[in-house]
Amino acid sequence: MDLIEVSGLTKRYGGIVALSEAQFSARAGEVHALIGENGAGKSTFIQVLLGAVHRDSGKVALEGQPYLPINPNAAQALGVAAVFQELSLIPDLTVEQNIWFRHEPRNLIGMVDRREMRRKTLELFAKYHFPSLDPSRELRRLTLAERQIAEIAKGLAKAPRILILDEATSALPAKEAEWLLALTRQLAAEGRLVIFISHRMGEIRAIADRLTIFRNGKTVAVHEAGAVSDDEIVTQMIGRHLDRLYPERIATATSRAALRVRNFGSGSRLSGIDFDLREGEVLGVGGLQGHGQRELFQALFGASRSTGTLELWGKPTTIRNPRQALTGRDGIALVPEDRRGQGLLLAKSVRENLTLSVIRRFSSNGLLDNKREAALVREMVDFLRIKAGTPEQLAGTLSGGNQQKVIFGKMLLTQARVLLLYDPTRGVDVGTKGEIFQLMRDLAAKGYAILFYSSDLPELVHVADRVLVLQNGRVAALLEGDRISEEGILRAAVLETEAA
Amino acid sequence: MTAPALPVTTEPRKQPMNRWRGWLLDRAPFLVACLMLSVIVAIYGALQKGVFTLDEINLDTAAAMTLILAATGQTIVLIRGGIDLSIGGMISLGTVIAATQFTGDPLNVAMWSALILALGFAVGAVNGLLITALKLQPFLVTLASWSILNGVAMLILPTDGGSVPGWWIGFSYNLILGLASPVWMLIGLIVFWYWFRATRLGITIQATGSNEKSAFLSGVSITRINIITYGLSGLFAAAAALYLTTQTGAGSPTIGKDYILPSVAAAVIGGVSLFGGRGHLLGTVIGALILTLIGNLVFVLRVSSYWQPVMSGVILLVAVLASSLAEKTARGQEQ
Repeated sequence: MDLIEVSGLTKRYGGIVALSEAQFSARAGEVHALIGENGAGKSTFIQVLLGAVHRDSGKVALEGQPYLPINPNAAQALGVAAVFQELSLIPDLTVEQNIWFRHEPRNLIGMVDRREMRRKTLELFAKYHFPSLDPSRELRRLTLAERQIAEIAKGLAKAPRILILDEATSALPAKEAEWLLALTRQLAAEGRLVIFISHRMGEIRAIADRLTIFRNGKTVAVHEAGAVSDDEIVTQMIGRHLDRLYPERIATATSRAALRVRNFGSGSRLSGIDFDLREGEVLGVGGLQGHGQRELFQALFGASRSTGTLELWGKPTTIRNPRQALTGRDGIALVPEDRRGQGLLLAKSVRENLTLSVIRRFSSNGLLDNKREAALVREMVDFLRIKAGTPEQLAGTLSGGNQQKVIFGKMLLTQARVLLLYDPTRGVDVGTKGEIFQLMRDLAAKGYAILFYSSDLPELVHVADRVLVLQNGRVAALLEGDRISEEGILRAAVLETEAA
Repeated sequence: MTAPALPVTTEPRKQPMNRWRGWLLDRAPFLVACLMLSVIVAIYGALQKGVFTLDEINLDTAAAMTLILAATGQTIVLIRGGIDLSIGGMISLGTVIAATQFTGDPLNVAMWSALILALGFAVGAVNGLLITALKLQPFLVTLASWSILNGVAMLILPTDGGSVPGWWIGFSYNLILGLASPVWMLIGLIVFWYWFRATRLGITIQATGSNEKSAFLSGVSITRINIITYGLSGLFAAAAALYLTTQTGAGSPTIGKDYILPSVAAAVIGGVSLFGGRGHLLGTVIGALILTLIGNLVFVLRVSSYWQPVMSGVILLVAVLASSLAEKTARGQEQ
């Protein structure tokens, strides 16, 4: 008998069908991958399993018994836990308080027994070989990767029978991601069921026993992992044949520098940066996570203070704030890392998000020109193929890939021509990834200059014209042509800088 | 199969210096509040004899206690990420019930005190329930219930008056080991706080204020937390009302409004975040003492009493500035 069996699961949000007669079943002791494009219904499926969302119809059985958790608490009590992509952690609590939240060991008068809590934390860390993480640090002081690790610890602390990993590797650097994969196998070997959600085919290949593919809220296929090709999986995921993920790299760079950066620095994490970003070029930025990439993007956009000199299209400029960066034609725009927190207003419509930063362009004498706005919005929605019912749909209800497209649209409407893309494909499905890469190449061909950071090495290798590798906040190498390879980037990122 | 041990992280190590600075920055608003209190006490002490005595401590604590009690409830609500304006109505209502119902009989006083406290919790619980069930703004719900409670207080006792027993009025003059009963109350309150913030309930309230969605996904019942949080606030408002009658000896249907915004100000001056998730009762107590002592300061400086709200405002600004700067610096370091 399977540990969990789901049949005919349906869930609607207003007019949108998130799940339609979805099927799923998995055994104890297996790693079962759940894959599908963003918007395929995976998130809703998880929410239903966790009791955070209530289904409209359908059956779920846990060990043959009807399973109807009324809230996340009830699901936890039945041994179902999740590690979320949008972290479920509390910023003002420490790592260990988060891990044991609502399950804290207590003393006789009801106070949390901190010594016991520390002991249990270290025990958990040791049992699963956790990367080093200080249990007493407050969560808001951690990096994204460290938070993800804390979130994993929180899921494991409940010793669940079913653990759902929702894109848990997407925020992790390579080594930690590898650790998580090994951990996943360890959990399966302990007799637990791990439902593994990822957009990285390599990972799924490495650890999944079986895989279930969702598309448009329906289950389209269940495979033994060894018996199916990548090509078949991708085709079933997107419902059509995807010719290739990466677009052809046609050199469109001119010799003109869009952005000339000299002796550029910011705070203590970035210094002495020199490079030229050319018109029509996609310049990749690589290196290990936390070596100054984020600081570079933030400082170039004026979101943090910087030192050194900048020339924008040949003119010396100083950028003190994002407003300055975005001003006028040919300015600088940023697609930030945390699209939900920094890029999008989730409670606003697609239209409002698109036109928020360019609202002056549609107004005369303080009044909005609604027609002009509507026309531009429609143009942008069509151009980017944003899948929204109407431009009035709330941004928060879109899938991850479509949210990312809205941010691109917002950026393009500003008329900026230097685009800073910080990990634009994080948590985005394969189909949309392909569209984003194609869009980047198209924009480069139109003379845009693009600075592109990705946490996924193959993306840099296949999309960028040149790759700037950072190490400890300095330029370790600028790779061109044949030297752009995963190995080349890694070497430059970890080895002592050649020309010191 | 077991996972391989992972020897290193790829993050560049942060210097220990940063942790020390981080610790200081976290407490910057509280430390600034302590500094402001010291300055006020120093000026007060320089101009007035006998400030640094047990008597003065007893008197000042007695004077500040109503605000401290009201602000304790407010602190819990603020840490939850809400705000409670209804405490003004509850304080008025509490004083008029006490002043009209108390007889000289201690048993009667004990019974009515218990009823007032229970009423306080119940009113707060209804606030919490309305906020959750109807998904309404705490500001508006508690503004409405403030008005309702105020009206009920007026219906019971239209003007200041009524009376409480003489022994009840003498409450704050009882000395135990040289300390007056309000000082012992304050000590009890602080002990309660250290216990409360380390309980699951205390942590859950803080967590819900820090990030409600995460707390919900972790299995917290938001309804339950709101009922308890606002219930506690109502309970402390009722306690403030009872204490207030020991100071005034009468009931007043309008006196409560004098504690609404000062209770928020006391908490904010002491470093409690208006956005929830952060704060400590010690800070609130310091804030309440500052606001109370400004009154004394105005007196000894021999200036118009209208300078009192001016000074309160300036101090509030300094406090808000301190926490905002600390926040920005801390964030700048993390990035």
